[in-house]
Amino acid sequence: MSTTNQLISIKGGRRPGILLALLASVIFASSIAIFAGPDTNAPPAQVSDAKADAAKQAKKVKKKKLTGAELYQLNCNRCHAERYPTEFTPAQWKTIMIHMRVRANLPAAQAREILKYLQEDSGN
Amino acid sequence: MKIPSQIFGTLAAACMMAGVLPQRASAQVSTNDFDALKKIVEQMGDRLQKLEQTHAQDQKTHEQDQQVILQLQKQLGETQTAVTNAQQTANTVAQVQSTYPVPGASQGPMHNVTLAGDAEVQFGKTAGQHSAFELADFAPIFLYRASDDVLFEAGFDIMLNNNTDVNGNRAPGSSTSVNLSFATLDYLLNDYMTLEAGEMLLPLGTYNERNAGWLNKIPDDPLVCDDLIPGSGVGVQLRGAIPVGESGQMVTYSAYAVNGPSSGASNSIADAGALDLAGNVGDTPNWHANPSGGGRIGWFYPWKPHYDFELGLSGQTGAWSDSGNRSWSAGVVDAALHLGPNIEVKGQYIDTWVETDDIGKIDPKGWYLQAAYKLAGLGLEMPYINNFELVGRYDRENDDGLFGGGAGVTKTDRYTTGIVYYFSSTLLFEADYEWWVSHGPSPQPFNGPGAPTSFVLQLSYGF
Repeated sequence: MSTTNQLISIKGGRRPGILLALLASVIFASSIAIFAGPDTNAPPAQVSDAKADAAKQAKKVKKKKLTGAELYQLNCNRCHAERYPTEFTPAQWKTIMIHMRVRANLPAAQAREILKYLQEDSGN
Repeated sequence: MKIPSQIFGTLAAACMMAGVLPQRASAQVSTNDFDALKKIVEQMGDRLQKLEQTHAQDQKTHEQDQQVILQLQKQLGETQTAVTNAQQTANTVAQVQSTYPVPGASQGPMHNVTLAGDAEVQFGKTAGQHSAFELADFAPIFLYRASDDVLFEAGFDIMLNNNTDVNGNRAPGSSTSVNLSFATLDYLLNDYMTLEAGEMLLPLGTYNERNAGWLNKIPDDPLVCDDLIPGSGVGVQLRGAIPVGESGQMVTYSAYAVNGPSSGASNSIADAGALDLAGNVGDTPNWHANPSGGGRIGWFYPWKPHYDFELGLSGQTGAWSDSGNRSWSAGVVDAALHLGPNIEVKGQYIDTWVETDDIGKIDPKGWYLQAAYKLAGLGLEMPYINNFELVGRYDRENDDGLFGGGAGVTKTDRYTTGIVYYFSSTLLFEADYEWWVSHGPSPQPFNGPGAPTSFVLQLSYGF
């Protein structure tokens, strides 16, 4: 057998291996798609409903009104380190929040929520 | 009370029988029957008497009831009168309140005084100088809440400086300066607008309003904020914020009128060296007649706690000298980015335009960029390490001849690197090293001996 033929036979011998590898890849990918994908046994309408519900839930979570604690984290920590609610009395927090509302240009509704959060655990 | 008709009937029948029946018939009634009848008549009489007594008692009770009813009616009348008076009083109060709003009862007292602020001690070593405690600073902020929507606030800066005179110039000995940083009356007009009047920190960028010692991670100010724009001004301002959606996003605005920069010269000549950015109406003649106007519009976009971006555009313009109506204007772009609780990047670009008598219209400008990283972000479980924060800042400034008059342009670069150690959220220690590269007729640092490097340690406390 000449060298060329040997090469051809080697190449020809490798072809089934490559094909097998490709086939295995397709099967593997398909199996992942089957197991990880949505429930294909469900009727099409149910699948779309489930998707819509999930999207609605995600939107709801996204649109959920932020709490005073969350607003505190968003607004206050961007300029200074955290001040603890117990550092001041409810009356002092009320005064400080007017100061911060003006200084940091906080929306009134957010300032009220933050004040509520600080007053709930404030010092005496 | 009614007397039963049966009793009357029986009595009447008995009488009739006694009168109508003949003697013979009466003689025929037995003694027993007569006694029984007599007994019945007596019982009837007793009952009648009792009934009459009961009736009299009932009448008495009725009269008493009538009196009680009359009293109740009288009291009802008095109550109705009181209610009518109360309604009239309430109406009167409501009318008065609509003219002069009286704050309603709310949680806690209506008035309140609160003390906030910060204090610093600084130790420095400048090249060619002995090291020393350079300054001690006490910067109280007095907050007086007059009502739910009225606040008066005043911030002072009381500072003891070594080797500096009261004007901040290098001099032997020490001096104590007392400055009014701001003093404003804030009135919350509504949820979206606040009126501020007095000596105000100017919203030219964000640094002016957020530069307390314990907020700034580097002991000194950015060059451009110190040299090119005023920090405060006397005037009035409208400001507020409009929330966008429920995610915390908002648009903020400020619009103000202040006296503005003026000439520090003793005459009306508007040479570049005479520009006094903090002039307002000070101890030197205020050579301009019209106030300056300015404002800022900002956009704050948080996408989750500790992750946010802020962008602002601000500016101010007005005459600083009536000599040829020379104007001073500034435009500022500020931005800040937080990527988690440990990474912060912020900076400002400032461009100013100054009309002068001696060198025409000049364009001093510059910018700075500051970045900080808290080592807590590394997630190392090592004591103390998480309390450190690394800080770096780069400043660039081109005075375009402002400081040296007609002598030429000075360009300055300053590099600052340092660390912050947080003993607590409000007590922090800062150590910084900075070096300057400044070329031109007015090389910086102005207040130093021309030394290009300095080392500063500072202890800051916010309260």
